[in-house]
Amino acid sequence: MKQLFPAQHVMGFLFSLLLSLVALVAVLFDLSFAAGMTILVVTALVQAGLQLFLFMHVKENAESKTLYLNILYALFVGLVTIFGTLFAMRWGYMVK
Amino acid sequence: MKIDHSVPMEYSTDENKMKILGFWIFLGAEIALFSTLFAVYFTLQGNTNVGPTASDLFHLSPVMIETILLLSSSFTIGLGVHAMRLGLKKPMMTFFGITLVLGAAFLGVEVYEFVTYVGEGATIQTSGFLSALFTLLGTHGLHVTFGLLWGGSILLQIKKRGFTPETTNKSFIFSLYWHFLDVVWIFIFSFVYLKGLM
Repeated sequence: MKQLFPAQHVMGFLFSLLLSLVALVAVLFDLSFAAGMTILVVTALVQAGLQLFLFMHVKENAESKTLYLNILYALFVGLVTIFGTLFAMRWGYMVK
Repeated sequence: MKIDHSVPMEYSTDENKMKILGFWIFLGAEIALFSTLFAVYFTLQGNTNVGPTASDLFHLSPVMIETILLLSSSFTIGLGVHAMRLGLKKPMMTFFGITLVLGAAFLGVEVYEFVTYVGEGATIQTSGFLSALFTLLGTHGLHVTFGLLWGGSILLQIKKRGFTPETTNKSFIFSLYWHFLDVVWIFIFSFVYLKGLM
C-alpha cells in the first residue's frame, strides 16, 4: 500500500493545496491591487511549475531540452498574445 | 519493433517517444489557444453593460470546491502513472477511475455554477465580459468533458489488454493532458476568479 503513495507525490499534493490557500490571501485581506496581483502571479507560477516537474515528468524525458524549448516558445507566444492584446486594446489606446 | 527495457514502458519504442514529444508540441499549441481566450477576457472584463460585474457574480465556495477537486484529480492520476510503472494494473485502474470521477464532479459544480449565473440574468449575450467569461470557462470545461471520454476509453483498453507499450503510452499521454488542464484551471482560478473578487 505504501509504495502506491510515494512521499514526493503526497508532499507535492499538500503543497499545491497550500498554494491555493495562500492565493486566497489576495481576496480575504484588503491588499493593494499590486500586492494582490503579486501574490496571484507567484502562487500560480509555482503551482504550474509543480505540475510540470513533479507530475508531468519533464526532466526524465530524453528530449527534455527540446521540451523546455517548446514550452518556452509556447509561453513566449502566449505572453505576447496576452500583453500585446492588452497593449493594443487597453493601455496604448486611451480615450482622452 | 525494438523495445528498450531501460526506460518506463511508455517510452520503450521509438514510436512511443515520438508520440510523447508530439503531444508536448500539441500542448504548446493549447497554451497559445488559451492565451488568446485569456487575452479576450482581460480586454473585455470591464465591459459589463447592464449586467453584473465580476465581483457581483463570483462566489468563493464553488470555486474553491472546483479547485480542490481538480487538484486532487491531478494528484490521483499522478499516482496512477506511478502504479503503472510498478506494473500494478488494479491500483492503476482504481487511480484513473478516481481521477475521472473527480473530473465529473468538477464538471457538475461548473454546470451548477453556469445555471446559477444564467438564473441571475448573466447569460453569454448579456455583456462583453460575460461572453468572454463563458467562452474561456466553456473551452476549459469542454476539454475536461473530452478528457472524461478519452480517459474512459483508455481504462477499457487497459482492462482488456493490460500493460503493453501501446496502452501505457496512451495512459501516460492522457496523464499529460489532464495535468495540463489542471494548470489552465489554476490560471482561471487565480486571474479570473480571485482577481475578480479582489
